[in-house]
Amino acid sequence: MSSTRRPTSRSVRRTAVAATSAALAGVLLAACGSGGDSGSGTTGSGPVHIKVWAWYPQFKQVVAEFNKTHKDVQVDWVQAGVGQDEYTKLKTALKAGQGAPDVVMLEFQELPTIQLTKGLLDMGKYGANDDKGNYVDWAWKQASDGDHVYAIPVDGGPMAMMYRADLFKKYNLKVPTTWAEYKEEAAKLHKADPNAYMTDFGSDETAAGWRQGLTWQAGSRPYTYSASKLPDIGVKLNDDNAKKVYEYWGDLVKNKLVDTQSYATTDFYNGLSSGKYATYIAAGWGPGYLSSVAAKTSGKWRVAPLPQWTAGGNAQGDWGGSSFSVTSQTKHPKEATEVARELFGTSQAAWKIGIDQAYLFPLVNPILNGAYFQDKKYDFFGGQQINKVFVPAANGIGTFDWSPFQDFAYNTDTSEVGKALQGQTDWSSVNDNVQDQVTSYASKQGFKVSK
Amino acid sequence: MSLLRQQGPAPAVTPSTVPAEGVGTPATGRGRRRTGRQSAHTRHQAMGLMLVTPFGLLFAAFLVAPLAYAFWLSLRTSTLVGGDHFSWFANYQQTFTDPHFLAGVRRVVVFGLVQVPIMLGLALLGALIIDEVSSKLAKVFRMTLFMPYAVPAVIGALMWGFLYSPTFGPVNSLSHALGTGKIDLLGHSLMLTSLGNIVTWQWTGYNMIVLYAALQGLPREVYEAAKLDGAGQIQTALRIKVPMISSAMVLTLMFTIIGTLQFFTEPRVLEPTASSVITPDYTPNLYAYNLAFQYSEFNYSAAISFSLGAVVFIGSYLFLFATRKRSGLK
Repeated sequence: MSSTRRPTSRSVRRTAVAATSAALAGVLLAACGSGGDSGSGTTGSGPVHIKVWAWYPQFKQVVAEFNKTHKDVQVDWVQAGVGQDEYTKLKTALKAGQGAPDVVMLEFQELPTIQLTKGLLDMGKYGANDDKGNYVDWAWKQASDGDHVYAIPVDGGPMAMMYRADLFKKYNLKVPTTWAEYKEEAAKLHKADPNAYMTDFGSDETAAGWRQGLTWQAGSRPYTYSASKLPDIGVKLNDDNAKKVYEYWGDLVKNKLVDTQSYATTDFYNGLSSGKYATYIAAGWGPGYLSSVAAKTSGKWRVAPLPQWTAGGNAQGDWGGSSFSVTSQTKHPKEATEVARELFGTSQAAWKIGIDQAYLFPLVNPILNGAYFQDKKYDFFGGQQINKVFVPAANGIGTFDWSPFQDFAYNTDTSEVGKALQGQTDWSSVNDNVQDQVTSYASKQGFKVSK
Repeated sequence: MSLLRQQGPAPAVTPSTVPAEGVGTPATGRGRRRTGRQSAHTRHQAMGLMLVTPFGLLFAAFLVAPLAYAFWLSLRTSTLVGGDHFSWFANYQQTFTDPHFLAGVRRVVVFGLVQVPIMLGLALLGALIIDEVSSKLAKVFRMTLFMPYAVPAVIGALMWGFLYSPTFGPVNSLSHALGTGKIDLLGHSLMLTSLGNIVTWQWTGYNMIVLYAALQGLPREVYEAAKLDGAGQIQTALRIKVPMISSAMVLTLMFTIIGTLQFFTEPRVLEPTASSVITPDYTPNLYAYNLAFQYSEFNYSAAISFSLGAVVFIGSYLFLFATRKRSGLK
């Protein structure tokens, strides 16, 4: 599929096989997968090997820790790509019927999608319900459906505002507590330095979760979905709260108070480290991300709570976060469940690696509320105990349902936001357009949609 | 095949026919010779079959079978909730009323109408120049123009992505220095131009070499005759050389049209940097890819791919038909 634009005589055929490549890729992927997945097969005695797909680099030490403390089960770790790349591989392997790992790292918003294709094992049958009380309520609810447990939460993304204390001081800006103040300060900053922006409006697909998190904070709950109530689903992407958020950011964009670079591009990283952006609105894992892409600005950042829509409010939103699921292709459901539960679980040693090196934001209560995490000082943030901001934010996040077609919803949202950014449509019509497309897609897929 | 049959009786066959001729009557001899010939023929066929088999097997395994499977997929409909069922041509019906697909086709056609003539014009100009000038400089020129083709398309697109960058790109530094304001090369209005530039950069050299090779194959006497008739260099180029390599031009044009309709790599690479412009349905191929791998709609994706294949097939057939005189395919 890579270089389709090559004028050889094979081109004609190549077009026709574009779809075939889909099928072929599946076969090939499965082949690649099964080549290395000897892990899940055991002969006679010896420990059971469980293959795990996860993407943060520091995971190596977590696996080492697990393997050191477990005799009968050993983890074989594979880095199968970050986020969407991994999901693409997973979906293809699930479709192909082989090649999926035993345990896979998934973001919360992907769970219903993969679960609907019968790709996930119900860990509730293997004792995972015992962990229920250990985890933050909203996270456990996203990972389970009643007594069916489809994932064990690991880290979350409670949102907050990171800001450049030095720039705020230089331009005499006040740390905003409401979105109205945020806009005022944005105008003040841009007036003082036309090359500086209050932040970057994430307009791309990787930022779709960011936009969702902000509407989440504003009170929007677009989906009402539970796998046990199929084919019913409620879709409401254009309520007043969602519209309020999009029009607010649309207004900032139109007045050029925020930049519109795609997230995860070199230009964006550069903006974070060069002082072009004075704030970075991100999630609990954001400090780790920021300190790696903007390492040279160490000590200049601080964290403040997310600005509120009503002064004095305490509305929060979440962006991202991950969990461990067991796939339906596993041959060792019991051991795989054990791995998903105990890779991090309540292990102090694993979490120390997770917190100190991977900047994971724990969703497991003993660690989240433990003194080690809450009191930790971060040099990158000038010694601030940033979790004193993030932990209350995590506790303020309400329940939230995802749709089982989240990729489609995110892509549609990205396309419509793109059109508004390019001036092709009005910002006030974005949510309505997304709603129309997503509901018609859902109906076509056989859901009974209530709007 | 007829050529093979004439060359038929290979040395290995002769010994069996020779003794027969020595002993038998003319009639039997003739008869035997006939059988001898037949067996040679069958043996020959077997040989041919054997030689063709490796290719045939690979062809069947990696082209025919996947194509058949994809076609079978495209006749089914599978929904997230409703399950999987045979739906005949419903997917195709949907394809040709799907605004995303149609918009993509329209986009690549518009793109091709502008980009293809520019690129092939440049390629022809380059070929005529290096054909005329035979100095060392011409060789350097030829190499330089051809070089981008040696760069993998993905790397090329990534590189241009950096050059277009609003922060690091030279174009923006230049426009900034001149005070002409920001030029958003990755914005909605300039995206097709920017993509066209990448494609032109990558493929002009390749097409130039094809045309140059055709020019090199022309008989030199014709130029002499033209010179004696008083034709200048430009006249020779336009009136003699260009018409004589028209079949090569049709060939390059045809490959380019096919490549354009299948446009995929460059928009795919620039998608993360300019996702507000390059939507998942930007080109038909990109749309098929996203349908399959992001939304798991393998069936509809297969139908889109076959539909695109049909568009390409009909398009190239019509093109070849229209240019049959020029291309020498009549």
